[in-house]
Amino acid sequence: MNTSASNPEPAPSSPNREEAIFDGALQLPPGQRAAYVEAACAGDAALLRRVQVLLEAHEKAGGFLNPAALPAPAVGAQGTIVISPLPSEKPGDVIGRYKIRENLGEGGCGVVYVAEQSEPVRRRVALKVIKLGMDTKNVMARFEAERQALAMMDHPNIAKVLDAGATSTGRPYFVMELVRGIKITDYCDQHHLNTRERLDLFIQVCNAVQHAHQKGIIHRDLKPSNILVTLHDGIPVPKVIDFGIAKATEGRLSNLTVYTELHQFIGTPAYMSPEQAEMSALDIDTRSDIYSLGVLLYELLTGQTPFDPQELLKSGLDQMRRTIREQEPSRPSTRLSTMLNADLTEVARRHGSEPPRLIHLIRGDLDWIVMKALEKDRTRRYETASGLAAELQRYLHDEPVTARPPSSLYRFQKLVRRNQTVFLAAGAVLAALVLGFGFSVYELRRALAAERAERKEVEAKLGLVEELHRRQLIGEQLRNAGLLISQGKMEEAEELMRHVPAMSADSIIYNVLGDVHADRTNWDAAIQNFSKSIEVDPTNYTAYHHLTPLFLRIGDADAYNRLRQAMLRQFAGATDPAIAEDIALDCLLLPPTTTDLAVLNQMVSAAQTGATNEETVLNAELAKGLAEYRGGNFAASAGRLRKVAAKKGDKDRTLQALIVISMAQQKLGQTDQASATLAKAADVAGNDFPRIHDHDWNDQLTAEALMNQAKAIVGDAPQKNAAAQ
Amino acid sequence: MSDVTRILNDIERGDAQAANDLLPLVYEELRKLAAAKMANEAPGQTLQPTALVHEAWLRLAGDEYKQWDGRAHFFGAAAEAMRRILVDNARRKKALRHGGGQQRVDIQDVDLAGALEDDQLLALNDALDRLAARDKPKADLVKLRYFSGMTIEEAARVLNISEPTAKRWWAYARAWLFAEIQTAN
Repeated sequence: MNTSASNPEPAPSSPNREEAIFDGALQLPPGQRAAYVEAACAGDAALLRRVQVLLEAHEKAGGFLNPAALPAPAVGAQGTIVISPLPSEKPGDVIGRYKIRENLGEGGCGVVYVAEQSEPVRRRVALKVIKLGMDTKNVMARFEAERQALAMMDHPNIAKVLDAGATSTGRPYFVMELVRGIKITDYCDQHHLNTRERLDLFIQVCNAVQHAHQKGIIHRDLKPSNILVTLHDGIPVPKVIDFGIAKATEGRLSNLTVYTELHQFIGTPAYMSPEQAEMSALDIDTRSDIYSLGVLLYELLTGQTPFDPQELLKSGLDQMRRTIREQEPSRPSTRLSTMLNADLTEVARRHGSEPPRLIHLIRGDLDWIVMKALEKDRTRRYETASGLAAELQRYLHDEPVTARPPSSLYRFQKLVRRNQTVFLAAGAVLAALVLGFGFSVYELRRALAAERAERKEVEAKLGLVEELHRRQLIGEQLRNAGLLISQGKMEEAEELMRHVPAMSADSIIYNVLGDVHADRTNWDAAIQNFSKSIEVDPTNYTAYHHLTPLFLRIGDADAYNRLRQAMLRQFAGATDPAIAEDIALDCLLLPPTTTDLAVLNQMVSAAQTGATNEETVLNAELAKGLAEYRGGNFAASAGRLRKVAAKKGDKDRTLQALIVISMAQQKLGQTDQASATLAKAADVAGNDFPRIHDHDWNDQLTAEALMNQAKAIVGDAPQKNAAAQ
Repeated sequence: MSDVTRILNDIERGDAQAANDLLPLVYEELRKLAAAKMANEAPGQTLQPTALVHEAWLRLAGDEYKQWDGRAHFFGAAAEAMRRILVDNARRKKALRHGGGQQRVDIQDVDLAGALEDDQLLALNDALDRLAARDKPKADLVKLRYFSGMTIEEAARVLNISEPTAKRWWAYARAWLFAEIQTAN
């Protein structure tokens, strides 16, 4: 029997509907599960069956795999085998003046209980006992630090320390204000807090951290589980708890820190600042907390930390440190727009918003604020927690923020500063590209001035060069890939790129490989490379722009449609006229939905408004004409495009305009003119159309896609055009 | 400083190779420990695998080494080692029963058991491999809990997931494995 047919297959680490529905069902009383599952599967019979099998298994599994149901440990002749490393306190135990009520959870190096204090006042408190088996001097020193540190602080958003002592077995314990709250991230998600409400909570956390910093105390382990939200009269109040590894920058406490061994990995990797990852523990200051706050803000906005904690852990300590120290995380809005649709919808739902609105809201100022807090170089972060809070206040009041995207010069300097070999590699890639394509920057500039017709292509190449300066994660493999490309060894370059982890690769290399493959009419290989490029950098419009005609060339309309949706999501708000006009034209190559057409019309308008030179104006006009055609305004379309076609210059633009005119004429019932216009288009195209091998493959394929549509509706094309095909 | 402590220190320093050295060492220690215990047991007694793992930890590193990271690595390796030992053991016993022709019963062939029968254990082992191929983190969670005897809280920490997530994974993985074993039978 085929087992996999009846058993669900969880997709590795990606959300899985069976699992989600199964989880949901288990939250319900058994009697309500069947109805819920049926509704949740929404008619998907296979899915329903799989979830039912799972739930049935859950009911029947009984003590299966339950470690508690294992036989009691055998007692050997030498005595008992097991020594449990787990806490030994239980409800009812009395420690000092406190009576244990319940286990609240484990954190850091201790176990936290709810305890009852009877004198001098009757109240419930949180009692933290150092875990059995972990009570080294090291941990005791950290607790001692926490006790003193907390006593120095008095802030409504910081949990107070009330008492300290030792249990009868000699283990230290600490008594703190009882905070019955939930993790700040969970609170925000469960209550569907919108971005503004999340920022309000976060600003309070900044203020608490600022207070601690002013007392000379660094938290060093800020993370959601240490920031709990409680309700006071219905108003959510965040409380920072567990200054358990706080370290004073003042001398009074510093003698305790000698116990903190240099190599001991303190903190949680996902929230750890680069300098903490460096593990030169003596060099941690308040700016590490600013970084952790940046991670928290990132998570509050996107639902994810900048680096996947599981990936970090799995990658091993060395790689983990390198990632935290060197890898630039995606901007929050980029992270959102690269999520799977289902994930993004879920994140947006938790923000009480919809995906496009959420991305739009975060893109820009919030992106830069988060990225400034997350700067690898701490001197470039916000100097204080209150500085970060003030910046967010400015954002909330629609005032200009100080965080700005780093200039390309700054990024380049940063690149050089960080790693000499990386810098050399970047230079080598640049050289390789320049050699490989027979261009030099000088020539590019000259060509730019002299050859208006080639302007677009030259700009693209110049863009490549500039992009190289901007990219920051170019390593040895990229250098070699670049060299191989320059030597025309495309297969070897590709082989090499397969071993470059996607995140550290540079989209530009994939774009170059895709470009070369397309030039050689290797459509599939070109598609693979451009797809990879989008994976690496979902904001790079070049790859999208190249993929659209390629998908049409291989006749994959589904892929085209999916790509179009991604483009609309990514570039709907594009203001750069060159990008807006290209993307709009790409998205109009097949008839769009009415909704999408409205968005595309806006993009075209943006391109028309922003166009500063004749080329851009004409390209925007072409896109506008096609949009009108798609919208059924055939007369307007034909009229507009006749003017475009009349202009000398880009031959492919003229060709594309003529093709659309012929289709418009056909729709207007002017069948003779339509055939004549199409014949004229075929003349312009020439006998060797489509000529791919002259770097114009994109324009050629675009024209070809339109030409195929025109032939389908204009009817029998004149004989000589058929021959040309 | 014991070998294990040295390896754990290497792992802490980020030596990726060191983690590979850990498994055979832990494996050997567990085998020796099991053999020694069994020599002192009355026939028919069973040893609890998770108890062995904890004892191995105390013997190999317990007094010298108390850092969480190393402990997490150790229990991860121990879970894998214990799984191999149990599966080997079950396979060998099965071979004997099916007329392998051997008369002598080796010390390692007597019961070293969890709650599952040998056949069930082998079926679980296969199912676990299939789960690991599809969703490795969940299979890791099962190994840590079942073979290393970690609590949900400890396993959650090793895998760096929240406790509620670990609980959800556990429920799902357990039902998945149960269904898988049932269907395979």
